[in-house]
Amino acid sequence: MAITSIKNLKEFSTNNDRFEGAHLLCPGCAHSMIVRELMNCTDDNLVIASNTGCLEVSTAVYPYTSWDTSWIHIGFENAATAASCAESMYKARKNKGTLKDPDAPVKFVAFGGDGSTYDIGFQWLSGAMERGHDFTYICLDNENYANTGGQRSSATPVGANTSTAQAGSHSYGKKQKKKDMVAIMAAHGAPYVAQLAPNKWKSMAKGFQKALETEGPCFINTVSACTTEWKFDPKDTINVTDLATDTLMFPIYEIIDGHELNILYRPKNILKVEDYLGAQGRYRHLFKPENKHVIERIQKDIDEKWEFLQRREEARI
Amino acid sequence: MSITGSVPGTDKRGLRELGAEEKVGWDEVTQGVTLNSFVGDAADIVHKKAEERNYNDFNSYTATVASWRIIKPVYNRDICIDCQNCWVWCPDTSIISRDKQMLGIDYDHCKGCGVCVEVCPTNPKSLLMFGEAEENDKALSAWPEKKKKEK
Amino acid sequence: MAKEFELNEVEVWDGNYAASQALRQAQIDVVAAYPITPSTPIVEGYGSYVANGYVDGEFVMVESEHGAMSGCVGASAAGGRVATATSSQGFALMTEVLYQASGMRLPIVLTVVNRALASPLNVRGDHSDMYLGRDSGWIQIDAFDAQEAYDLALCAFRIGEHLDVRLPVMMHQDGFTTSHKAQNVYPLKDSVAYKFVGEYVPVDDMLDFSRPVTHGAQTEEDWHFEHKAKQHKALMDSRTVIDEVFADFKKLTGREYKRVESYMMEDAEVALVLLGSSVETAVLAAKQLREEEGIKVGIVAPRCFRPFPYDLVREALDVPSLKAVCCMDKSAPGGAMGALFNEVSAAAYSTEARPMMTNYVYGLGGRDFAVDEAKRIMKEQKAHADAGHITTDIQQFSGLRGPKLGFFQTRRD
Repeated sequence: MAITSIKNLKEFSTNNDRFEGAHLLCPGCAHSMIVRELMNCTDDNLVIASNTGCLEVSTAVYPYTSWDTSWIHIGFENAATAASCAESMYKARKNKGTLKDPDAPVKFVAFGGDGSTYDIGFQWLSGAMERGHDFTYICLDNENYANTGGQRSSATPVGANTSTAQAGSHSYGKKQKKKDMVAIMAAHGAPYVAQLAPNKWKSMAKGFQKALETEGPCFINTVSACTTEWKFDPKDTINVTDLATDTLMFPIYEIIDGHELNILYRPKNILKVEDYLGAQGRYRHLFKPENKHVIERIQKDIDEKWEFLQRREEARI
Repeated sequence: MSITGSVPGTDKRGLRELGAEEKVGWDEVTQGVTLNSFVGDAADIVHKKAEERNYNDFNSYTATVASWRIIKPVYNRDICIDCQNCWVWCPDTSIISRDKQMLGIDYDHCKGCGVCVEVCPTNPKSLLMFGEAEENDKALSAWPEKKKKEK
Repeated sequence: MAKEFELNEVEVWDGNYAASQALRQAQIDVVAAYPITPSTPIVEGYGSYVANGYVDGEFVMVESEHGAMSGCVGASAAGGRVATATSSQGFALMTEVLYQASGMRLPIVLTVVNRALASPLNVRGDHSDMYLGRDSGWIQIDAFDAQEAYDLALCAFRIGEHLDVRLPVMMHQDGFTTSHKAQNVYPLKDSVAYKFVGEYVPVDDMLDFSRPVTHGAQTEEDWHFEHKAKQHKALMDSRTVIDEVFADFKKLTGREYKRVESYMMEDAEVALVLLGSSVETAVLAAKQLREEEGIKVGIVAPRCFRPFPYDLVREALDVPSLKAVCCMDKSAPGGAMGALFNEVSAAAYSTEARPMMTNYVYGLGGRDFAVDEAKRIMKEQKAHADAGHITTDIQQFSGLRGPKLGFFQTRRD
């Protein structure tokens, strides 16, 4: 009963939304596509914690909430702690018999943007993963601090123009590589870790269901295309995400028990990264002749990562 | 095409503009800034359709963001194949689907992003963007013909 | 079911162990904690109860004090009893979440073992951490010895969880002088203690799925002020509940607590106002000075630091014979008079006698405060009283090496 049917979209669409409209996310924001899909892939009760960020600041501005489930926001960094200790309270109360409905199935979920996941909330997330609580952490990775106007985070990729890693006459934007959060979370020995994308709705829903059903701490990094800071037309959110997955800028894969890697999507035609970069304003400067080497570097990084993922998958270790 | 008020008395969709709610005094704000999403017992809310739920005024379901929109999607039932692409990718919970059928657009919550049109696979599309002022009937009467595949 | 802990009528406990026993007896659902000197033994004590079957709840050892308080907030919103312990730097790291806990009206109990704040790093007791918490919206109650650390921790749950209050409570004791000093403590039986604390009543419970609730919404300029005012009123009004709980506790144990403790104030000509373990020292000094030199010294000790008991401090100081009052702050004031000086002066301003007010900063980083020094300060107050004006700087430093340090004078020419 807990899991809802995702056999096809028609089946999936019979679910009743628990994430309501008239939230304040930008038109075309992928955050809400991802959140809706998470909430629609189960009919269990949910206790959701959110870090400060676009999602939080757009869905619970007094006197309105867009959440039809239990929801909590404390600060920028501590949603993983809030969710994991709410889960501890659930265990304690279940043990003591003080729950109103002790048999009601419940799942604990935390959402954070990449700023709160990769940077400021890194320690809190790591602590909660190590402690082994039964919860799922989902990073809505839009590769920048979008809520505060587009500053660089450690999830911002090489070459992106952000307000604190700007492209200019002396700079091509961010110089450092994106932190490999999926690997870091897998290294915690988490039973289920994945990177998913909303354009591949089925693999995303499957991954969400797997994480919710797996006992223990699970981590999912989702690519959340940001119309405002990536600078593309709001209508193109899914188109840009298609380019992200088909250029392998965002490979879709899972890691089970910290080691068993499965690639979940193999593009039939792998596109060149220029197709992805060219669709977004934040990379526009890379197409100047002097920045050609940056595009080459990005492509090389993608190719190497894809090679690595395939070999890891083949190795079955 | 909006189904506002389709079940009288229970569907509170889009009652107010955001910010138009009554500004009560310190003695009437909720303790601890909490917000309850529903009135009464909502234990089985996941199995209830929006129009069957007893939404609290605190639920953003009861607010509207229609004023954000400058262009709007118009839905053409005659062409739609009910694939539900628009439903799964709508970021504003504004595609109203019931029993595997696409019924229409929730114009109180739609912000006019146009994602639904982009992901619509029919030819011609079953959803197209029009100016906010355009009448839906007029838009439907001028629907484009099937396009030949571009090479 | 947790095992009953066999206790003697009298136990020899230090303040830390006393506090940890009170936490155990309150049958907390979730303790989320991180160790820090000098409060570590509270967490360790609790850990031993968990390991030996004396606790039914969950014990979550998190990765930092910020995480500890974050965990307490998440757990508390999930509808059960929650507590933790900390000191000093840990308290400072928690500060962000302290404000969030009180704004969200979650009745978490935090036992604080007071310690200095770096830099320079110092593990000894002063009141810097307690003072750091004074605008955080928490109720702050101060225990002066181990018995009080036990008694008041039990009271803290009753006060914070009262439906008219629903605010977090800090239960303070002094690092080392109280936390590590063993004394006779009279504990309650487990069942009696739990009956006093009572069953936890959930409010806006995240695990009540019949009533989905959003915690931690954002408020901007059109709503924030009203919420903060409502919160402030709850804190101010908690005075009544604190008095009620103290009265119930007296009925149960015979031990009496007041929001402001005062000693020998009826005929006092001079008075010291101070907090914590120094109160005992000051009371002893005052008694001796009355006997030895006939100086009529009284002592006022606000047990409740927040909400600050203006009413009762004023009442305690409204003595016609009172001429000079010295407020003793055990925290570096950072460019101002000590907080106690400011607040007590505000309360004293509307008394009939309107005594002269002076300020001593003392005991920083665990510097000893002994009876002789207390007497010296009392005699200095007597000199002000005899002269009819303040004969020293208004703010001075007690027990400090080097040239005399002081600030501000009242001009009398």
